[in-house]
Amino acid sequence: MNNGNIFLDLLVRFAPEGTPSWLLDLSAAGVGVGILVAMVSVIAMFCVWMERKVAGHIQCRYGPMYVGGWHGWAQSIADGVKLLLKEDMIPIGADRPLFVLAPALVLGSIFAALAALPLAPGVFFADIDLGLFFILAMSSMTTIGVVMAGWASASKWTVYGAMREAAQVVAYEIPLGISLMVPLIVAGTFNLNEASALQSGWYGMHWYIFQNPFVLPAFALFFISALAETKRAPFDLPEAESELVAGFMTEYSGIRWSFFFMEEYAAMFLMSVVAAVFFLGGFESPFTSLARDVFGEQHFLASLTAGLVLLVKAFGGIFLMMWLRWTLPRVRIDQVMTMGYKYLTPLALLCVLGASIFEALWLGVA
Amino acid sequence: MLDVKTQDLEVNMGPQHPATHGVMRVLVRTDGELVTGAQPHLGYLHRAAEKIGENVEWLQYLPYTDRYDYLAAMNNNLGYSLAVEALMDIEIPRRAQMIRVICAELNRIASHLVAYGTYGLDIGAFTPFLYAFREREWILMLFEKICGARLTYSYIRIGGVFNDAPPGWLDEIGHFCDVFEDKWREYVDLLMMNKIFVERTAKVGVISKEMALDFGLTGPMLRGSGVDFDLRRDCPYMIYDEIWQAGAYEIPVGTGEQGVLGDSWDRFYVRVQEMLESLKIVRWCLANIEEGPTIGELPKTLKVPAGEAYVGIENPRGELGHYVVSDGGKVAVRCRVRGPSFVNLAVLEDLLPNTLLADTVAIIGSTDIVVGETDR
Amino acid sequence: MSVVASYINNIVSGVKSTLVGMRITGKYFLKKPITVQYPDERLPIPNRYRGIHYLEQEKCINCLACARACPVDCIEMDAVRHGKELEWVKFTIDYQKCMFCELCVYPCPKDCIHMGNEFAFVTTDRSELHHDLLSYKGMSREARIRKREAEEKKKKKAAAKAAKAAKEAQAAETEGDPPQPTEGEA
Repeated sequence: MNNGNIFLDLLVRFAPEGTPSWLLDLSAAGVGVGILVAMVSVIAMFCVWMERKVAGHIQCRYGPMYVGGWHGWAQSIADGVKLLLKEDMIPIGADRPLFVLAPALVLGSIFAALAALPLAPGVFFADIDLGLFFILAMSSMTTIGVVMAGWASASKWTVYGAMREAAQVVAYEIPLGISLMVPLIVAGTFNLNEASALQSGWYGMHWYIFQNPFVLPAFALFFISALAETKRAPFDLPEAESELVAGFMTEYSGIRWSFFFMEEYAAMFLMSVVAAVFFLGGFESPFTSLARDVFGEQHFLASLTAGLVLLVKAFGGIFLMMWLRWTLPRVRIDQVMTMGYKYLTPLALLCVLGASIFEALWLGVA
Repeated sequence: MLDVKTQDLEVNMGPQHPATHGVMRVLVRTDGELVTGAQPHLGYLHRAAEKIGENVEWLQYLPYTDRYDYLAAMNNNLGYSLAVEALMDIEIPRRAQMIRVICAELNRIASHLVAYGTYGLDIGAFTPFLYAFREREWILMLFEKICGARLTYSYIRIGGVFNDAPPGWLDEIGHFCDVFEDKWREYVDLLMMNKIFVERTAKVGVISKEMALDFGLTGPMLRGSGVDFDLRRDCPYMIYDEIWQAGAYEIPVGTGEQGVLGDSWDRFYVRVQEMLESLKIVRWCLANIEEGPTIGELPKTLKVPAGEAYVGIENPRGELGHYVVSDGGKVAVRCRVRGPSFVNLAVLEDLLPNTLLADTVAIIGSTDIVVGETDR
Repeated sequence: MSVVASYINNIVSGVKSTLVGMRITGKYFLKKPITVQYPDERLPIPNRYRGIHYLEQEKCINCLACARACPVDCIEMDAVRHGKELEWVKFTIDYQKCMFCELCVYPCPKDCIHMGNEFAFVTTDRSELHHDLLSYKGMSREARIRKREAEEKKKKKAAAKAAKAAKEAQAAETEGDPPQPTEGEA
């Protein structure tokens, strides 16, 4: 398991004797990337469909109902096909290489971040010791893509959107990181698998938010910062459709636009999984511990239960994001800054301080 | 020192921009996010309504009045009809007057619902828009039942109204009034009192009392600045005086509750409160309506005695004035319309500089203009 | 102190009003939507709905009252009169111009033009928007029968008249010129 890639382990086990190791590495990476891309696409498509249904029902309407039969489940697929078939348009004044590169960079970095996520205990694409660190680094890479897109489009609205994105993300990386330090103090590891496994006590309810009183406020702060980080309402200023037309993606259309769209949902999923792992118990729940007791520690069904529990928690977080989006108005750029620097950052620091003292006293007592 | 030249960025907000409520164009000069100057440009929806009024017969102009403030077509019909009736010696039956008031006030609610919803949209909240449209849809269905149209009613006519209310219509309105009050509470809770909404609109786009009077603002724009002036009470037409004497309604005025007197939030809250006041007027009319004819006695070919008349009525957006001149024939000699949106719009140029780009949207939204009316 | 108070107050009111809003949206999330799935189910259209016109052609007398009342002059009608009967050439409404104001309906003396409840008038060509309200061109069967009957009646009348005239003429002739042979016979 120390290779950091479960596919490599499988290949090493089943490959014929004497296969060169670079070929094994390459094919393992290829298979991993293929599965990752497919998985993320499916998740993003499901999120789009879910967003439309949630928005619809919140607003007393149905949302998609026709494509595919049952509640329009195939709407996202149909939209995807439509976007693929659309004409690939690049504005005349645009900086072509940057314009083409930007969506790829945005999507690539979010895929890279998603690769560090665990799928089930012991099942992962890349088991990185500094997993959380890697995820944060990669997810802030998307900002570069967004700024690039805004600049390359040669439109005034996109420049506004890009500048807003840059300012906002710089402001919100800080509380995002600091609020994540609180569960890290409790957990003592950056590794997502280990962090999840550490919450398995109390019949699977030994979650970090129950372990330390300062983790719950930190979770709220993390959630708000994550909203800003993923450009979700009420912090969707880079897009701000009523102010900036469509912000940084005004000039994008077709499949390139859908890359930005997918990135948004993939980032939501990413942040929800991180929240689930570091605050809400990760794989652990009474069901997981029950499954483990019934089927045994290493059994396939136990892993499946754990994976499903994480998925449910992640989609719970996504649902909360959607619920907020369809409830709240958008904040102004200076208020975003005020909130980030004057409210979230100091409060997150307070949480870190409190958690540290609590932990020190707790450990001192124990 | 680097020789760096900087200059303000000029941005065309509109005519195809989601925040300009139709086809208005605002030329915004910005320094980063800060707006340093703004110039509204009009005329994209000009349809020569006044000139048409001088070329078609009196009654034939009625459908055109629907089309300037298309969100409050009943009120436009009413304004024009009152102006023409002022020239004619004609008795409007009481039932017709009651139905007119019910329709005009329901239309005011519908119009303010659109204002509420689209303002939420401007600020970035999508859901209140659909909640507002849900109730507006109900009003439109009621209008559809009485006159057959959902937007361009052409229902209130010179001499009365076209049709009597269909059976059961008045009861349905009573039911609507009961339900609407609960929904109104939700509007206030969901958007008006939301912290982010308050932060976005309070202390933004402040119009002082003097400024409001200087610019000739009317309607909620004026009352939002704390000037207690409403044509329904201060310059009464039809039976509004009677309703006021009966104490059926009040006139909401801005108080500066969340910020400064005359800010966007105040203007907006005046509109939202007016919905309830309109509801009270409708309730009063429902309680006092009697059977009777719905149209006065009119000659077969409508000839209006020579003379001139100006009648201003309280449209949802302010004073809608009709000035008509007749030479005794079948066609008006002059038909002038004073649209409230057009006058209210003038304040933008003074209001927009030194705000943020997002505030620009909030301020344009708070003037609640209908471009069909500014351009006519 | 007041700065701290407002700081805390901002947080509290922000969280509180967000929760209030989420309660409202959450409530509607759980309720059944109020919209209908349009092509499958439709809301009832009220009787007075102002949709595409329809014409009771039998009643129409081609008086042009509706065309004259129309503010945009979108009604064009033409018919040839044969005595009491009309031979219809056209009765078109240009739906590019029509603004569905119903002003054409009120002045009709025979109450024969109405607005129906059909609203989806879709064409792929603008020229098709010149919608012809006539259900038949020329004359209706009944009108033709009536016309023939009237003509026959007229003919009969004329024939009768002619016969009568002939008779009268004959009578006058006989009166003015008494039968000679009887005299002669007598």
